[in-house]
Amino acid sequence: MTTELKVVGKSLPRVDAYAKVTGQAEFTMDVNLPGMLYGKILRSPHPHARIKNIDTSEAEKLNGVLGVITGKDTKDMRYAFVDTPRYPADQYPLAQDKVRYIGDEVAAVAAVNPETAQAALDLIKVEYEILPAVFDPYEAMKPDAPTIHDAEIQGDSIWEEWGAEKTKKSDANEKVNNVSGRTVITYGDPDKAFAESHHIREDRFETAATAHCALEPHAAVAHYDPAGQMHLWLSGMGIYYKRYVLSKVLEMPTSQVRLHKVYIGGAFGGKMDVYPYEICAALLSKKTGRPVKIELTRGEVFTTTRLRFPTYIDIKTGVSKDGKILSQHIRTVVNNGGYRGTGPVVIYLFHGWTAPVYRVKNMRYEGISVWTNIPVGGPQRGHGAPQIRFAIDSQLDMIAEDIGMDPAEMMLKNVRKIGETLPNGDVLNSCGLIDCVTQAVELSDWKEKRGAPGSDRTERKNGSIVRGVGISTTTMISGAPYYPFASAGIVKLHDDGAATLISGVVEMGQGAETTLSQIVAEELGISLDDVRIVAGDTEQSPIDMGSFLSGGATVTGAAIRLAAADAKRQLLEVASERLDAMVEELDISDGIVCVRDRPDRCMSIGDVVNYSVKKTGDPIIGHGSRKILSGTSRYPSLAKGTGRWTDAYGFNAQVAEVEVDTETGQVKLVRATTFHDCGTPLNPQIVAGQVHGCVSTGQGQALMEEIVYDDGRVLNPTFQDYRLPITLDTPETAGTEVESFEPAGPFGAKEVGEGVVAQTLAAIANAVYDAVGVRITTLPITPQKVLAALENQKKPPKNNK
Amino acid sequence: MKLLISLKVNGQTHDLAIAPHHTLLGVLREEVGLTGTKRGCDDGDCGTCTVLIDGNPITSCMLLAVDAQEKEITTIEGLAVNGQLHPVQQAFIDHGGLQCGFCTPGVILTAKYLLEQDPAPTDEQIRLGLAGNLCRCTGYVLILEAISASRDGKMQKAEATR
Repeated sequence: MTTELKVVGKSLPRVDAYAKVTGQAEFTMDVNLPGMLYGKILRSPHPHARIKNIDTSEAEKLNGVLGVITGKDTKDMRYAFVDTPRYPADQYPLAQDKVRYIGDEVAAVAAVNPETAQAALDLIKVEYEILPAVFDPYEAMKPDAPTIHDAEIQGDSIWEEWGAEKTKKSDANEKVNNVSGRTVITYGDPDKAFAESHHIREDRFETAATAHCALEPHAAVAHYDPAGQMHLWLSGMGIYYKRYVLSKVLEMPTSQVRLHKVYIGGAFGGKMDVYPYEICAALLSKKTGRPVKIELTRGEVFTTTRLRFPTYIDIKTGVSKDGKILSQHIRTVVNNGGYRGTGPVVIYLFHGWTAPVYRVKNMRYEGISVWTNIPVGGPQRGHGAPQIRFAIDSQLDMIAEDIGMDPAEMMLKNVRKIGETLPNGDVLNSCGLIDCVTQAVELSDWKEKRGAPGSDRTERKNGSIVRGVGISTTTMISGAPYYPFASAGIVKLHDDGAATLISGVVEMGQGAETTLSQIVAEELGISLDDVRIVAGDTEQSPIDMGSFLSGGATVTGAAIRLAAADAKRQLLEVASERLDAMVEELDISDGIVCVRDRPDRCMSIGDVVNYSVKKTGDPIIGHGSRKILSGTSRYPSLAKGTGRWTDAYGFNAQVAEVEVDTETGQVKLVRATTFHDCGTPLNPQIVAGQVHGCVSTGQGQALMEEIVYDDGRVLNPTFQDYRLPITLDTPETAGTEVESFEPAGPFGAKEVGEGVVAQTLAAIANAVYDAVGVRITTLPITPQKVLAALENQKKPPKNNK
Repeated sequence: MKLLISLKVNGQTHDLAIAPHHTLLGVLREEVGLTGTKRGCDDGDCGTCTVLIDGNPITSCMLLAVDAQEKEITTIEGLAVNGQLHPVQQAFIDHGGLQCGFCTPGVILTAKYLLEQDPAPTDEQIRLGLAGNLCRCTGYVLILEAISASRDGKMQKAEATR
């Protein structure tokens, strides 16, 4: 902290940039192997049906078809991302008895080209018995609604293998029809605190299903070699997690399943889970003895690779006269779709994104996830944070108006500070929330633009256009316990003074290869040009948490700094002998080891490595590892919210400035002023890129993005019909990181890539209200909704709240 | 039945036997082996498969390969000369105008076309010119910055010294 950083904290060019601007970067779809076959998946056309019979004989006879598989080939392969004693896995690679949403996987074929594979799918005859379907979670919970998962799931879960206690099957799933998960968290005395509140509000908010829209469609290439190893190239976010699940499902030893390095063309949560098409590619390769590639179409990506959970949120909040939140009762219901996906996780996370931001001492939180017959929900950038932060900060804006207070001021009365301990025991060893809010307010000209509470807004009108500003805050973890619960790194030195970093990290655009290389360069005292990285291959790289759960900087980064420090320690030991000085007297700078203040007693790192090899044969290889939440052995409880789950939280605040066209209802995000606490920014340009990307996604989800269903069918599975922000929508962006240092992270760094997306939604919704006085509580804020609300506003005199 | 066609890609002529219904995108990727051109939607919506045909950007998923004969096709692999990057490629590196890299080839080719048409486009013209290229990672901010930094004849100047 005291010495000046030379590589970390600098906006150095990405180490993967050259490969990416020249088209050389290899993505899964670019992998072509000799003799490779092409696979395709037959999917259910029905939202809910029983499979009575599958006849594949005609497909198998088609010239050019080499393999066909159905549910019979995946009988013992029950798996899922959530597979705990309470919530055992509920999914199979190919449907067993029933299909549960339109797009559910039924069969797969491998053929000599994609056209033949498609023709073969058309020849598979599936006899369905169509069952009544249910699409709304509240309908699905009624006792007479069709039950989507009727058979009780039996067997062990993978968490038991990871040390979770084998508990009796919980009652969580049994009492209410189709409930796939339930979280109940209580602390303090909410009822008493409500009774003592000066003002209480109850509001409902709804959010839409949205798609990740990574530009790279999901793809898999599998090659089972006769020696018994399964080689895989997958569009994934964590090679060790995928390897683990695939080895379980395929019943192979983990090290016999090898994930090879590929670049990932964006993920945003949508490439975390293990998908049936990946398992099918592996099974078809095993069956045919040939490599098999499966590329999903954009339509398949939209419907079968998870969506943000559509969520209903009811919040009751009680505040004191001076705007302190005294008590909160939050109820959430998520539409889980046909399988659990991460339903039980997201209902836990809604509370997880609540507790670190505002100090609420009395809380009752209830979350329910419900199986229905729509496509499955899953993690998506922020995983629950956009939904819950939209609701909480929309309501905060409403409460502030009720009590005649500026919402930014009300936030400052409630935000947490450094050193606070959360109800689950997590400690905020860094927390720049106050600075985030204060600086966003200042740079955005908040006070000037917002005016005093209750002030007249008509002056702001310019023709039909009215401007408004809104503010919101959010948080994100820096890694959480999930397989393999740790990351490791290897740093090997070369005899020319360069270093190679070996890591299991996956580069999917977030810049991990660059920032991790910067950590190595900084620690060793060499330039970034002298660090090369080997990453993303299970055969070559040590374990890694994966690039989900936002632990890349803090957990993997810390492991890699330790690896570099280990190499440095060894290097200095050798140098101390050669330079005849104590290790403590040595410094490394620009690749040269010197005795402090003695420029005449120096040698290059390369010479030290050379000397070491000549003397003992040791080429100097450092290694390091970091476990998430070292020192704790318990896992957090999804159902009760107890137990620690991260080492550090990132924080953000944003002021959004919008223009509302009162004639068309169109809302335009003009300016987003974002301040974030990511600890030390490892590479400010990469940090800025993460923030811009999050703002853009948040803007899309606030204003235009929505998966539209009709009886479980996705009506808009194309970029033509699912509009995401384009260049013309890009707002002016302002703001930067606040001063902060996270002790758990390398050089003080923590999360930045995921959290920022969440506060853009409420910031925009609040800005729309500030502009034209209409409160949209159902996302997205479409022109139709704004116009209807404006129309409504004209009719009766404004209701007194 | 296969069709014999001839395509001129990045200055090189390729004689190919292709299925008549194959798109230029498919032939570039699967027959010519140039995988820098990406398949993002196969529907003409996303711009990741953009190539230049006689200098004009076109989504190669929407063009049959047979119709691309007797034209100069430029893919992302054709921009660097003798191992030296095109100035627009360099600008994207310098300004951090890329993240996952999947939309990058199409974006860079579109940007090159835009700056060739008008060496000094306004901010609005740059935004309009890139409106057909989707990017989910960057929010476009640093992409637009990289292109702005290449305008006012800077791309042409750098190209002359390449």
